[in-house]
Amino acid sequence: MSDKDDIETEGITEATSILEDENCEPTKNFESVDQSAKSESKSEPVASTRKRPESKPSSDLETSDVLPVQISQAAGKETVSKDVPQTGWGYWGSWGKSLLSSASATVATVGQGISNVIEKAETSLGIPSPSEISSEVQYATGETNAKENENPSPMSGPFGVFSTISTAVQSTGKSVISGGLDALEFIGKKTMDVIAEGDPGFKRTKGLMNRTSTLSQVLREAKEKEELWTANEVTMETDKKTHYGLLFDEFQGLSHLEALEMLSRESEIKVKSILNSLSGEELETLKFELEQLKEAFSLAEFCEEEEEEKKGDEDFTREITELFSQLHVSSKPEKLTRARNTACEWIRTPLAKPLEEKEEGKKQLEAEKIEQINNNSIEDIHAFAIRSLAELTACSIELFHKTAALVLHGRKQEVTAIERSRALSQMTVVLCKELSSLSKEFTTCLTTAGVKEKADVLNPLITAVFLEASNSASYIQDAFQLLLPVLEISLIENKTELPEA
Amino acid sequence: MEAIWLYQFRLIVIGDSTVGKSCLIRRFTEGRFAQVSDPTVGVDFFSRLVEIEPGKRIKLQIWDTAGQERFRSITRAYYRNSVGGLLLFDITNRRSFQNVHEWLEETKVHVQPYQIVFVLVGHKCDLDTQRQVTRHEAEKLAAAYGMKYIETSARDAINVEKAFTDLTRDIYELVKRGDITIQEGWEGVKSGFVPNVVHSSEEVVKSERRCLC
Repeated sequence: MSDKDDIETEGITEATSILEDENCEPTKNFESVDQSAKSESKSEPVASTRKRPESKPSSDLETSDVLPVQISQAAGKETVSKDVPQTGWGYWGSWGKSLLSSASATVATVGQGISNVIEKAETSLGIPSPSEISSEVQYATGETNAKENENPSPMSGPFGVFSTISTAVQSTGKSVISGGLDALEFIGKKTMDVIAEGDPGFKRTKGLMNRTSTLSQVLREAKEKEELWTANEVTMETDKKTHYGLLFDEFQGLSHLEALEMLSRESEIKVKSILNSLSGEELETLKFELEQLKEAFSLAEFCEEEEEEKKGDEDFTREITELFSQLHVSSKPEKLTRARNTACEWIRTPLAKPLEEKEEGKKQLEAEKIEQINNNSIEDIHAFAIRSLAELTACSIELFHKTAALVLHGRKQEVTAIERSRALSQMTVVLCKELSSLSKEFTTCLTTAGVKEKADVLNPLITAVFLEASNSASYIQDAFQLLLPVLEISLIENKTELPEA
Repeated sequence: MEAIWLYQFRLIVIGDSTVGKSCLIRRFTEGRFAQVSDPTVGVDFFSRLVEIEPGKRIKLQIWDTAGQERFRSITRAYYRNSVGGLLLFDITNRRSFQNVHEWLEETKVHVQPYQIVFVLVGHKCDLDTQRQVTRHEAEKLAAAYGMKYIETSARDAINVEKAFTDLTRDIYELVKRGDITIQEGWEGVKSGFVPNVVHSSEEVVKSERRCLC
């Protein structure tokens, strides 16, 4: 009984610690704050590793991430420097985070949140007034609002959704994990929504969040909508090439994500039942160990190493291969590294070629040819960028899926669950950084190739690349979190069934 | 590249370890034969479009399962959401043929309440000199379970297309007749998108509505 209570309380903390993030925002976003939720959120910030790292750091980082207004106010703080655009396009990682934290904020303040996110995204991207988009968003969120209100939720109001989740946690006895995951997925969904709304090209994914479902379901739905849209309105090959969702599915990202979710869910159930069967000291010890494991999943390094200098080409392959070998699983990340290297080579080719040609042949004809290459390139670069991001993300998720399968069913290894978790956590960081640097390189390509283009032609393409990169990073982080229950069960099994082969 | 399809079918490929499941699928989806391949971990995913009638395409989502026993608990979970399956054995490996019963028994337990349309595939038919299972006995077994039997070779690209397209066609007929219907919460058959045209099968649309709850 006692441990059941624990789980429930944790479940609430889990949900409310996400709410906490919103409490860091200016109160203007809180017309009415549910009293109970407020008091609960005052409880100490439990290391709730089920969340994305974005919402974890201390409040001053959080606040600076959330609203553009605050960024300018807090200009003196060191965290801000990361946020302030340095290349003119901003540090994507941070605004990726701000998207996410604002996305969770949006849950509470449905109306304002999204437009804030877009404003933020657009400002940091140096894109002119988003008023058009905003008004559209207002319209869209009005829609969602209405739909949410239809829900016969016992607690409506700003916290409707999360209270529902925590209620569900209480009433069904669902564990922390599922409560946390729901919240996480909800945020993911919201992010999808925000991104969909922010990019006029993705209008059709509107209303994604109306149902409570898993991340893969959401992505699948989005993909299906893209398919439908593609089928009905666009038959041009070029357009299809830039549909992230379709491409992600083409690289089997959705299937692997779904498979990973399945393994995660099964493990979660097992962990829960084992915890329920234990008591006293045994339970405490296990809980302590699981807590340590969770800490390894918190991606703390994400923030610390942000300002690392650029690394060489081979470093990614080496780093990932090295980290992967630390997992002691019988598969290799070759598919991923190959995909990444292809992308890198491609980036270099169109840039390098015209330069070489310029030096060698000075003929007019040559120059025209270069012009031609550049003119064609901007759409090509964009299409290739989106494709690469989708492929890398799909490969990363496949890697996580395979890892989960091998951790669960592989041969016994001389490596602890915690060691594996650390390696995986490190890997997630490396992957996300790689996506970040790739997206930067792609946009540099775009800028170079589109130097003569008008801003309203070029900017949406650049925005799309950054948004999808940010998107990709969230998927990878979500997938990473799905590994936690898998490693938990592996920790428990290693502990209890050591003699088993 | 990604064209429009009428339906999406999920097919599962099962059978003993090393009978050549992944090679068969790769031949079908990628058009090439991989000489060396690592054992499949858990489950892998492939897809391809198949044109069953002019202009009528079906998207196949093919689930390649690990034959190794240790992954059985993972692969089992995939039976339920499949509409069709290829049950492979290696004609040069008698044991893999004898295990066909077990595979069928296992799927029967885990597929409920749905059913899978299976085709029995005798693989590696290029290695006829090392054959340990005769065509006759394989056909007999297949018939006993109401399956079709086909012999394939991924290396020499024999009957690979046929194995998949015949199965797809059979399933398509069942869907058209309404014996198999699209159901909410079941991934076996999904309706695709046809530009500016209503779905050809009315039953499908109806059953879809019925199951919305």
